[in-house]
Formats: sequence, C-alpha cells, structure tokens
Amino acid sequence: MGFIDIRNLVKRFRTKYGEVLAADNVCLEIEKAELITLLGPSGCGKTTTLRCIAGLERPDSGDVLIDGVPMFSQGFVPPAKRGIGMVFQNYAVWPHMTVFANVAYGLKLEGVPRRTREARVREMLDIVGLAGLERRYPGQMSGGQQQRVALARALMRHPKVLLLDEPLSNLDAKLREKMRFEIRGIVSRMGMTAVYVTHDQAEAMVLSDRVAIMDQGKLVQVAKPDEIYHVPASRFVADFIGTTNIVEGQVEEILDDTGLVGLRTGLGRTLCRARNRAAVAKGEPVYLSIRPEDIEVINSTHEARDNIYTGTITERAYLGHLLYLFIRVRDTVIRAQCHPRQVGSEGEETRIYLDPAKCVILPS
Amino acid sequence: MGGAGGLLAHPHQHGIRSLIRVDNLLAAFAWVVVAFLIIYPLSFLVIDSFRVAGSDRFGLQNYRAFFSDAYYIGAFVKTFVLSGLVLLTTTVLGLPLAYILARYRLRGQTVFTALTILPIVLPAYAGAFAWVVFFGRFGTLNLLLMQWGIISRPINFISGLHGVVFMQAIHLLPFMVLSLLAAFTSIDPDLEEAAEVEGASGIRRFFTVTLPLCTPSYLAGAILVFLWPFTDWLTPMIFGVIDLLPSIAYINIAYHFTDVGRKYMGIVSVVLSSGVCVAAFLLLKAWVERKRYTGLSKGTTLGGRTIRPNPLVRVVSYLYMLFISALVLLIPIVLGLSGFSRRWVLTPFPQHWTLDNFRTIFTGATRLISNSFLFSGVALGIGVFFGLLMAYLIARTKALGRGGLEFVSTLMLVFPGVAVGVAYLTAFWHGIPLATHWMIMPLALFVRRMPYFQRMAHAAYQQLDPCLEEAAEVSGASKLRTFLTISLPLLLKGIFVGVIMFFIMAFQEISTAIFLYRGGWETLPVGLYLNWHRGMEFGFAAALSFMMVVIVFVMLMIAAKIGGGVLNVAWGSSGRGK
Repeated sequence: MGFIDIRNLVKRFRTKYGEVLAADNVCLEIEKAELITLLGPSGCGKTTTLRCIAGLERPDSGDVLIDGVPMFSQGFVPPAKRGIGMVFQNYAVWPHMTVFANVAYGLKLEGVPRRTREARVREMLDIVGLAGLERRYPGQMSGGQQQRVALARALMRHPKVLLLDEPLSNLDAKLREKMRFEIRGIVSRMGMTAVYVTHDQAEAMVLSDRVAIMDQGKLVQVAKPDEIYHVPASRFVADFIGTTNIVEGQVEEILDDTGLVGLRTGLGRTLCRARNRAAVAKGEPVYLSIRPEDIEVINSTHEARDNIYTGTITERAYLGHLLYLFIRVRDTVIRAQCHPRQVGSEGEETRIYLDPAKCVILPS
Repeated sequence: MGGAGGLLAHPHQHGIRSLIRVDNLLAAFAWVVVAFLIIYPLSFLVIDSFRVAGSDRFGLQNYRAFFSDAYYIGAFVKTFVLSGLVLLTTTVLGLPLAYILARYRLRGQTVFTALTILPIVLPAYAGAFAWVVFFGRFGTLNLLLMQWGIISRPINFISGLHGVVFMQAIHLLPFMVLSLLAAFTSIDPDLEEAAEVEGASGIRRFFTVTLPLCTPSYLAGAILVFLWPFTDWLTPMIFGVIDLLPSIAYINIAYHFTDVGRKYMGIVSVVLSSGVCVAAFLLLKAWVERKRYTGLSKGTTLGGRTIRPNPLVRVVSYLYMLFISALVLLIPIVLGLSGFSRRWVLTPFPQHWTLDNFRTIFTGATRLISNSFLFSGVALGIGVFFGLLMAYLIARTKALGRGGLEFVSTLMLVFPGVAVGVAYLTAFWHGIPLATHWMIMPLALFVRRMPYFQRMAHAAYQQLDPCLEEAAEVSGASKLRTFLTISLPLLLKGIFVGVIMFFIMAFQEISTAIFLYRGGWETLPVGLYLNWHRGMEFGFAAALSFMMVVIVFVMLMIAAKIGGGVLNVAWGSSGRGK
C-alpha cells in the first residue's frame, strides 16, 4: 500500500451540456517521499484528482487514504486535518497579509508561540530565497516571489503531503524553468511526498520520479519519465508526450527467432521489436510510433537494410538547434529530426531508416 | 435551481450524512428567515386579497368589485400610462446624457456624472417638495415670470400628471443613465469599428450596432424605471394626483381601515401592482437570458471609444448637462432656502431668515432623528449579517435550495414597498402579533434593503478568488476561521459601499414605514410627511428634508471616498450585482 492510496475515485460534474466524468475510477498508489506528477490536457481530471486528495472536492465514490487513514469513507476529513500543504495555480497568497503573516498563518493556528514562529518562518524564507522580505505585502512582489511565498506557506507546517496545482503556469518561461529545479531541490531535500499537477510535459519530465498521465478522467499510464517517453502505453500517450510519428498498420508476421514483429504499414513492410510479444497477434490492426529523433536520414543511396524507405522532402522546418524534415513516403508524411546542417531541399528525394528497436507498437 | 440537485442525483456513497453539512444547516436557517419575513407575509397578503370582506370565505369578489368600478379601472390604466410616460421621458433624457458622458471627452465630466446620479440618494419626496416650491402655481418661477411681465397668470408647470411624470423621470434618470453608461462603455470598440469599416457611419452605426448592443443593459435600467410608479404613492399625492394604484392603496388602507370595502380595494391594488412588477421582471429576465448576445463580445475595460467633439457639439453637450444638473441641484437649494427661512409665500425668494426650523427639530423632534438612526441601524445590522450569509450560500456553496433563496431575494428587489408595508400590517397583526412591537420597523426595512446588499456582497464574493479561502483551509483553518481571517477582510472593501447604501436607503424609506409606524415610532421621512399632510408651514418639513439630504450626502461622500468614486457607489444601489 502506498503512502497515498487513491482507490476507485469517481467524481462527476454537472454542466450545462450534461454530465462530465472528471475522475473515472482513478486508482493510484504514491510512495513515501516520491514526487509524482499528474499530467494531461486541460479537462482531463488531474486537478479534480488533486483536489480530492486535498479534500477541497468530495468524490462521488471511492476513497483516498493518506498514511493508511481513509479521508472520505469513514467520515469526511476536512482539508485542515489532513496534514497537507498546497500551492495553487494563481499562488493564492493573501493580499491583506504580509509575507510573514502569510507564511506563519498555519503555525499561528497550531498555537506555536511567537518566538518559535518567527524563527521558523525566517528559516523557511531562507530556504525559498525570500530572506529579509517578511514585512512586504504580496502586492509589492513579483509573480515569482509570490510563488515562493506560496511554497513557503505550504511547507511551513511540515506537511505529510505537498500538493502543487500547476504552480508555475503563471510565470514566464525563463523563471518557470528555474523554479522547476528549485522546487525539485526543496522537495527532495525535505523528503516530502508530493503530487504535482501540470499540463506541461517538460515540467513533468524534469520534476517527477513518476508521471501519471490522465485522459478524459482516466489514468492511462503511470511510469518513470523515460519509460513514458520511450515506451508509451497508448497512442494518446505517445502523441501527448513529445512529438511522434504515428503510422497505422497491421501485424503481418511474428518472427520468433529475432524477437521482431513484421508490420504492413503505410510505409511498406516495417520491422519492429515488440516488447511484449504476447500482446500482439497476427492480423491485428495496430499503430506504429516512432520519434522524429529516432529516424535516420540516409545520404548514401546504396545501403540496403530492412526498414529503409525512399521519399520526397515536402517541407524543411529550421529551428536553429535542429531541423525537421517532413518526408513523404507513399501517402504517409514522416517527420524526421536532423542536424541543422543536414542537406536536402524541398522536392528532393531522400531515404530514411527506422531502427526496429525504436519502433513502438501500440494497440489500436 | 443550479447545482443543488447534484447531491440528490448522485448520492455520495456515504449517504445521508453528507446532507447534514454546516452549509445545509445555514441554508435551512436562511430559509426559515425568508419564510417568516418574506414568504409568509406576502402570501398572507395575496390570500387576504381573496377574502370576502368581513367573512372567512374566499372568492373573487374583491377583484370583481375592483374591475367593475370605473374609478379603479381608470387608476389601473393610469398607472400603466404613467409608467410608460416616465419610461419614455427617462429614455429621451437619459440616452443623450449617457452618450455624452460615455463617449465625449469633456472637462468636468466627473462633476456632471456625480450630479446626474445624485437623485439616487435624494428621497423622491424631498425632490417633490422642492419642486412644488419652485415650479408651483405661486412658486419662484411663476412669480419671477410674472414680475418680469412675461406672463400675466401663473402657468401650471407641475400640478397634475405631467408634473408626476417629470418628477419621477428626474428621480429615476440615474438608473437609466447608469445602465446606458455601463452599456456604452463596455461595448467592444472593435464591434463599432467593424461597422465603420463596413461603411456604416455616424447615426446609422449608432442605430444599427451601438443601440442594439445596449438593449440588455437598457432593459435592466428600464425595468427599475417602469416599476417605480407602481410603488411611489407620495410624489403623485404631493402633485395632487391620487387616482394611481399605490396612492389608492395608501389612502384606502391608511385612512379607511375601518371601511372594509375600501380597505380591500386597497389590498387588491397592492396585489395587482406586485403582480405587474413581478410579471414584468420575470418576462424581462427570461428575455435577457434567451438573448444573451452581449456575452459574445470579449468585453473591454478600456471604457469604450471616446471622441473629442467639435465645438458645436461641445456647447450643446454642456448646455444639456447644465440643464439636467440645474434640475437636480434645485432640490437641495430650494430645501435649504425654505429650511432657513420663515413665511416664504408669494415671493420668489425668502424674506425672513431664521434658524427656528432647525431649533424645532433639535428640541421638539429629536425623536424622529433617533428613531431613524435606531431603525436603520438595527435593520443594517441584521441586513449585513444575513446578506453576507445569503451571498456566501449562493456564491460559495452547493447548499440545498440556494437557487430558491437567490430567486426569492431577487424578487424582493422588484416588490413594491407599499406591498411590503401592507403585507406586514395584515400578516403581523392577527396571526403573529409582531406589529405591536417596534422591531417590525427595522425588520421591514431589512427585508426591503437586504436584497440590494446581498447582491453587492455576492458581487464581492465573485471577485474573491476561492483559492484564497481554500489555501486557508489547507493551512489548517476551520471554515469559520477562514471566513473571519481571510474572506471577511477581503470582502470588506466591496461590501462597505453596500453598507453605506443600505443605511442611506433605509434612512429615507417611507413606502413601507408609513403603514407600520405607530405613535412614537415615527421616522424622519414619516415625520416629514405627516407635517406636510397636516398642513403645517413648509419651512419645518423643508428643514427636515434638507437635513436628510445633508446626512445622506455626507454618507455618500464617505462611501465614495472608500469605494473608489461616486460611480462605483451608485452602481450597487441600482441593484445590479453582475
């Protein structure tokens, strides 16, 4: 059993257009001192799930256990009694209180004496890099500073669980990147169990021990960042994380001796290494996913291997540090990521190689 | 009603326990108050109107009698005609004024805006008294014109229906101007520029694009204007018109309480007035909800387009604003002149100056002042508490029946004050004898003014990010603690203006109070009316009015200081939270 145990969580919302299942039987176990992100497009139910953990939302059914204690089924445990800290998307720093009062709020409620309170708040402000700003009001601070106040406030009571709801989405790109590493550092130094909601995959990749991907209220894959990227569980995950080429296909043969699977795709015959051979059956329609950076553009014309296709360059997209070539093979356009100095202009013919080990077969 | 059914539609696995939440208990409390102070008396009134006079049987007799009497039918029609005329006048006066204030860049705009909306806080009857003195048959204007030899016989400027139309139009002009002002300044300039690009310019653009876009806002102001003649009984009486529904209600019920037949005619006219008001309001609400096209434009905070007008337009605009301002300013000036003078008759201006009137007020009539402050203060206390509770329930919770609470409260906005007075008088006389205790005065004031305050509190709540409250709960605070340390301090600025407006409105309230006061409970407005009614010298009433205007004006200025501008303050009073 995890430190946080989400069991069959169901939450419906009624809207003008009918009912929306914001959380559809979500089950998730989160280990102690783990930083997990809930990642997905807007409206996928990640925030709802987080708010159920916080107790700001009540599920229609299912339960959340924190440290073995059920939060809903045996009487509702209010947010105040859950031992959590939370950072909100728009900071939610109280504008009528100073930085000190904001951060000390929880301690004051706990009845911590003033001396201790001051010392602890100062210590915390030091950690988040706001030393000396106790007397400021939030209105006099930048967005980044306000976010640090919010973080300090959430950590102040040494919560068992830290919840972060898209905490960086209101910051500009540079600051966002800097804060990612800071949050990562602070959370792991304090050994906190943290649930982090975001729609930004780069954020999720950088921060998390594990990433939980949600789509339309359902949890679709929970895995380590590299696994999510290289072994996506579904077409949705492959498509949502990074960019990929998706090609429709059909299983033609299963080559037992090499561990390869032969597909009939829009490109022609494509060999893929199947990770789970039992999951594919002959004649089954599947998707083939391959990342642009895993596609090799071959300059020489006389190499003969499997998985080499000839196509026409339809578009060059130059991004400075890399170059995308869009190559039409039969009726399928493949995006290949190349070195920015890669030759080949629009309309020219070129050849590409798909490494079978990097082709992922996804259920259709 | 809203998401209240959510709990029923999908009972939480933990069952009935989730229904017994604090929010639902608070909602239940609110319903008890609403039932006792609103639903009970108002339904009592409606039921009573079907009572066969002097018996315990019920039937349509009263209505049949009402509609078979030419006098009452005439009054019914005349009230409608008055409403229509007042609406027409405010529209004709208000449209150019709002346009000038919204679109032209002119010096002194703030001052003119403030003057234009001043009548909101001036009691209607104070204006009527002042106008009688100035425009009356032997008022200042007629006397001056005769002195100068322009006319030989007095002109009837205001005595009669046309006077009522004019006076009520001036009193209601702020509601119209504010509504239109909001509309003009919130139209996305792109929409008008698009029309310009398409080739529609000037007048054509105004009538085909600008005006249609303003319709919903215009109607919101128009409904307030239209309903007023169904509740204002005093202005017509001052101008010598008594065959209108609210005046009939007042006269029949207050003077002929023992004449059961006439009393019931009064009750029927009150119920009919209420019916018209509620029906008009519901129709409008349905219409606006169906046609919500203002929501299509992205809305702008830039204040719409402003133009620097050419010299001719500028001069005409100034003259027009001066004209309206003069009509408004006349009210406090005339009241002041009469208040500080004695035996001001048949001369254009007072001859004898004195402080006697004020001396009389502060020696003989302190009761009026203390009563006014006491009743308004108590009403305010209950109103703020309850208004905040209602706003919390509606804006922040999924408590059962909150939609219904909002609906009832909104209906109270349009319910004629006369109807509330009569309902309280009848309902709390026999059944629940509350009418014998002075608490009925503040309670009635509370019921009439709370909805306005609640809307302001609601608006303040909507501007308060729920995350701020959730952050406190997560930090370990209880709901009550969260409210006291986070919500209330942050709501304070928004509701402070509401508090002041509540007090101002309660302070000058007369339509309801006139039915409920008993000897010793007279408020300033009631005392004022009685004084006029008993035919005493006008100086005393004028001094009372003047004092009210000053008190109200001072409070308004305080509110404006804190609420960020006179416009913001007036907003709340027009009762439009969203």
